[in-house]
Amino acid sequence: MSNPAIIEIQNLTKTFKHATEPAVDGISFSIYRNEIFGLLGPNGAGKTTTISILCGLFPPSSGKVLIDGKNLHSELPSIKNIIGIVPQDIALYPTLTARENLEFYGSMYGLFGKDLKDKIDIWLEKLGLTDAAKRQVSTYSGGMKRRVNLIAGVLHNPKILFLDEPTVGVDVQSRNVILEHLKAINLTGTTIIYTSHHMEEAEHFCTRVSIIDNGQILTQGTPGELISNNAGSTNLENVFLNLTCRKLRD
Amino acid sequence: MMSKLLATVKKEILLLIRDMVGLSILFLMPMALIFVMTLIQDSAFKTMNEKGIPIVFVNSDKDSLGILIEQGLRNNALCSFHDSIDGQPATAELALKAVGEGKFLVGIIIPKGATEAIRKNVTELVSETLNTEEPTVEKTAPLKDSVEISILIDPVAKKSFLLSVTSNLREFISEIKTKIMFQTFSDQIEEVIPGKSSTPKNAYNKSQIITYKEIYASKSEDKIVPNAVQHNVPAWTIFAMFFIAIPLSGSILKEKNEGSAFRLHTMPTPFLLLVNGKIIVYVMVCLIQFTLMLSVGQLFLPMLGLPALVLGNSLMGIFILTLATAFAATGYGVLVGTLAATEHQAAIMGSLSILLLSALGGIWVPSYVMPEMMRNISTWSPLNWSLEGFYKLFLRGGHITDILLDAFKLMVFFFATMAISYLYNRKKRTV
Ligand SMILES: Nc1ncnc2c1ncn2[C@@H]1O[C@H](COP(=O)(O)OP(=O)(O)OP(=O)(O)O)[C@@H](O)[C@H]1O
Ligand SMILES: [Mg+2]
Repeated sequence: MSNPAIIEIQNLTKTFKHATEPAVDGISFSIYRNEIFGLLGPNGAGKTTTISILCGLFPPSSGKVLIDGKNLHSELPSIKNIIGIVPQDIALYPTLTARENLEFYGSMYGLFGKDLKDKIDIWLEKLGLTDAAKRQVSTYSGGMKRRVNLIAGVLHNPKILFLDEPTVGVDVQSRNVILEHLKAINLTGTTIIYTSHHMEEAEHFCTRVSIIDNGQILTQGTPGELISNNAGSTNLENVFLNLTCRKLRD
Repeated sequence: MMSKLLATVKKEILLLIRDMVGLSILFLMPMALIFVMTLIQDSAFKTMNEKGIPIVFVNSDKDSLGILIEQGLRNNALCSFHDSIDGQPATAELALKAVGEGKFLVGIIIPKGATEAIRKNVTELVSETLNTEEPTVEKTAPLKDSVEISILIDPVAKKSFLLSVTSNLREFISEIKTKIMFQTFSDQIEEVIPGKSSTPKNAYNKSQIITYKEIYASKSEDKIVPNAVQHNVPAWTIFAMFFIAIPLSGSILKEKNEGSAFRLHTMPTPFLLLVNGKIIVYVMVCLIQFTLMLSVGQLFLPMLGLPALVLGNSLMGIFILTLATAFAATGYGVLVGTLAATEHQAAIMGSLSILLLSALGGIWVPSYVMPEMMRNISTWSPLNWSLEGFYKLFLRGGHITDILLDAFKLMVFFFATMAISYLYNRKKRTV
């Protein structure tokens, strides 16, 4: 790719305190501007850990990360301004309404006043939540919570967006709407890093994927490349199962 | 920055308003506690204050000393005077038994011929002094005060409390002894030098005025024995303020465990700002609690026939002390929320530790009735610093300067809790 890398990861490892095995075990790769990059792997592969490090939630045990040319370790505060995150676990205040949640999170990203209100209105409309926006999030269905969780990460138009399983537990209709809008913001210049267990979804959604297991990268490339490189595979799920074996994970 | 802080404050207020259980813990519980505890304790304080300390008096003297002491006790508001036990006139044996059974807190026995003994002593003294013809040969009879007045004390009663009562009694009794000695002395002098009769009497009156003043001075110190309202309103208000630790730590842990903290840590907002938002809101809650409790003390308790809360004369002092208490309580909540792993843990840790700190701090039982050792431990509880400060303002007519040290200690406590929380968080985030 001629496109410059927006995220460069070199030899990243993370061993949690009291853990015997590293959760992330010396991975290196680059993510390029405007990609939709899929980080795929079975349960416990190290996807969330990797994303958490990239967001600055906790430091790696070793390795180096450059985000938009800045060193993650030394320039975290300015990096935080250009990233958005949609965590795997719903990160919302259940007793606040969707609008109150979004107003709060939006403010934390420096949005306020009419600008904030307009952005919230637009996104609530896009994801079909306008009518429910006045209800407390605790009264929402799982899918609705996911949608609000998503909006909270994209309100401020981040340059880089991390999505940790954004479509878990979401019905087909909602999933399509969500993916459609994510594609749209990708077209406006947001680089997306996305994790999922849903191979079919990843195959269509991602421009490039990396399959990881036990904290290590097994293979990497466009979905098409991976399928054609793996003899006998007709889709990404076959590739995934061949590489990660059929054993159950924790 | 300012708009971020405002947004945080708004969020905290919304979270608090939606948390009905938390709110009721914050506002209803302390009000209920004030009502209940005041009503319960009012009668206990009343025996001390309104009816006075039950005293049984055995007067075998039936002369000046006995009569004067009896008068003094009868006129003293702190005492409830009895000279009969179960309808029978009190005797030394009966009194000893009754005090032992707890019917009276204190018994006083004036032995037979006490006044006479004093007079005799004085007469001897006078004749010795004036009879220069008879030199110091017969001086064998020493000027010994043979009058033994017994003070009986209920063995079950709190020693520290009774100590002040009995020392006052002793002072009072020796006062009267002196008075009688003086009287006898001046009578004797009058016999010898008739013209000088008025001088010693005046001299005595002067000395009497001075010593009575002393008695009053020491009594006003003892006014720290407050009525139920003066103790309970500040005590339970402080307790309630510290109880915000439970909803506050709960809100911190909810954020941690509901994943909001995950998002908050990845946002371009300093974590301190988020914490500050919480502190601002909870300090405000404390101030509201305080105002509410004061109005309970001033307006509602009188409706139940209890005395109204007296605020003393330094509103500024009250404000400063309340603010410092609010910060200390908030800091404590942040600390509990930081150290606990789950909301459940925080609730247990928070409520138990506050119960302990409040018991030690003299919230339940005032520290001045605690044994010496507990009283020393008591001074380590931040709730005690605050309570002592309020005693100074509400009971001893203190001013701002009197509570500055207490307020300072509370602020130091606040900064200490914040520092510990900060360091602990930093250590913990390096998973
Ligand atoms: N805070 C933590 N402390 C200790 N170990 C952890 C912690 N978080 C994750 N792990 C461990 O690290 C490994 C990787 O976990 P991670 O959450 O990154 O997996 P994942 O790929 O996101 O899995 P899933 O698809 O189930 O979300 C797992 O073995 C997990 O048990
Ligand atoms: Mg995960």
